[in-house]
Amino acid sequence: MASPDHPGLLIEALQRADSPERLLEATENLAAACHPGAALALVEVLGFNNPGAAVAAVDGLIALGPLAVEPLLSNLDGHNYGARAWAVRALAGIGDVRGVQVLERALASDIGPSVRRAAARGLGRINLEPLEASERVALRLHCLDALLAACEDAEWVVRYAVAVGLETLLSQLSAPADQRQRGLAGLSGLAAASEDTPVVRLRAALALERLA
Amino acid sequence: MVVAGDPASSPVAGGAPITEEEALVRLRQTDDQSLQYYAAWWLGKMRSRHPDTLPLLCAALGQRQPREPAAGVEHNAVARNAARALGKLGEASAVPALLAALEDEDDGLREAAARALGDLGAASAIAPLCRRLASGPAGAGALRTGNSRLEEPCEAMLEALGEIGQAHPEVIAVIRPFVAHERPLIRSAACRALLQLTGDPLWGDQLLELLEHPQLQVRRASLMDLGAAGWRPALQPICRTLAENSLKLIALRGLVEARASCEQGHPGDPDPSIADILAAMDDLL
Repeated sequence: MASPDHPGLLIEALQRADSPERLLEATENLAAACHPGAALALVEVLGFNNPGAAVAAVDGLIALGPLAVEPLLSNLDGHNYGARAWAVRALAGIGDVRGVQVLERALASDIGPSVRRAAARGLGRINLEPLEASERVALRLHCLDALLAACEDAEWVVRYAVAVGLETLLSQLSAPADQRQRGLAGLSGLAAASEDTPVVRLRAALALERLA
Repeated sequence: MVVAGDPASSPVAGGAPITEEEALVRLRQTDDQSLQYYAAWWLGKMRSRHPDTLPLLCAALGQRQPREPAAGVEHNAVARNAARALGKLGEASAVPALLAALEDEDDGLREAAARALGDLGAASAIAPLCRRLASGPAGAGALRTGNSRLEEPCEAMLEALGEIGQAHPEVIAVIRPFVAHERPLIRSAACRALLQLTGDPLWGDQLLELLEHPQLQVRRASLMDLGAAGWRPALQPICRTLAENSLKLIALRGLVEARASCEQGHPGDPDPSIADILAAMDDLL
């Protein structure tokens, strides 16, 4: 077993894995090492068409946080839909500002509801702290516009995730008044009778109650 | 319960967006059945309210066509899709046509009709469903020779009895033997129906056991069945089981929305609240 300082052996084990079970095990071990040197190898696992291993890799990448963003962004595979979908989930979980564009695009147009759902949740949890005040306002506006546009999504689970995303976005203390008003209006729409899925209405109403 | 693929998936034929008018035109013609197939699906999915929709779907329900394995076309494909669409439209006037389809010799069409009658909560379907299931696991539930299907589409029929929701003693007596069927998916459907009809925790506990089954397919079915019954004591087991978050979210939505009106839970053990369930759903996004 390699020490956390040297992910090399763990990566080798991953490359040698010759069955889905071994791949899963090797990925879990590499993810648990939580080493920056593991990021690229974990990103590669996303394209292996092994859902169990991909889940473990996403968890590992999220645990690495900002360190995983560059490897994820520079390896977004335009041709492998599955890999891209897992990368969106990882970026949504990390919440780094560099991932916002990818999440916006995924929420607006990805064909998989589970990807749009993850993107909506992620857009509400972007860590804006590293930015200067003016940039922060502009980027939050991006996230808000993307979430508001997705209030009309055809899948209930995406609208549910939008309600959660809007709640997290608006609960940040520094949200400007006009953004807050627009976000609350979006939530009110999801809580209204015109929304046909009861659980979405309930979740939006809960968000409004918490933000009041 | 049968679990479909990604909810975004739609029938392959003519996947481009169409209008209601175009869907009606496609369903009305009979030269190209793949166009009819897609149109029937579309009208159900979009909950079409056009006055022509219902009569056209009922007519399509009477259409028969052979299976075309090479083209991936199922037996009576248009009629089966018409039955599914009629279930989604919520119109009681479709019930007589669906009852007739329940007597068809094609068990796939009987399956689609049973599900639709369940969706419509059609009490008039109880007697024919019970008649077809009355021979129990050794009769209606027996494996056919030559393929993997059962004599009757038991899973759909059991689920329909649960959805219709009338807990007559005769109905319970028909469903009950199926909790011992050799196939876990049939056991799951029977437990789901009994839980919906009686609210007895015994059936909820049996579904929780199936939720730990080594086969993913069985865990998925149990997830959907617990959700359909709105069995709230299942909250933590659902979160823990190994299955896709998408399916867990659908099941938890059921726990919020479909809570059975009967007695629930174990005495002295408070059910999770709606807030608990929503918090669990947030974590699965």
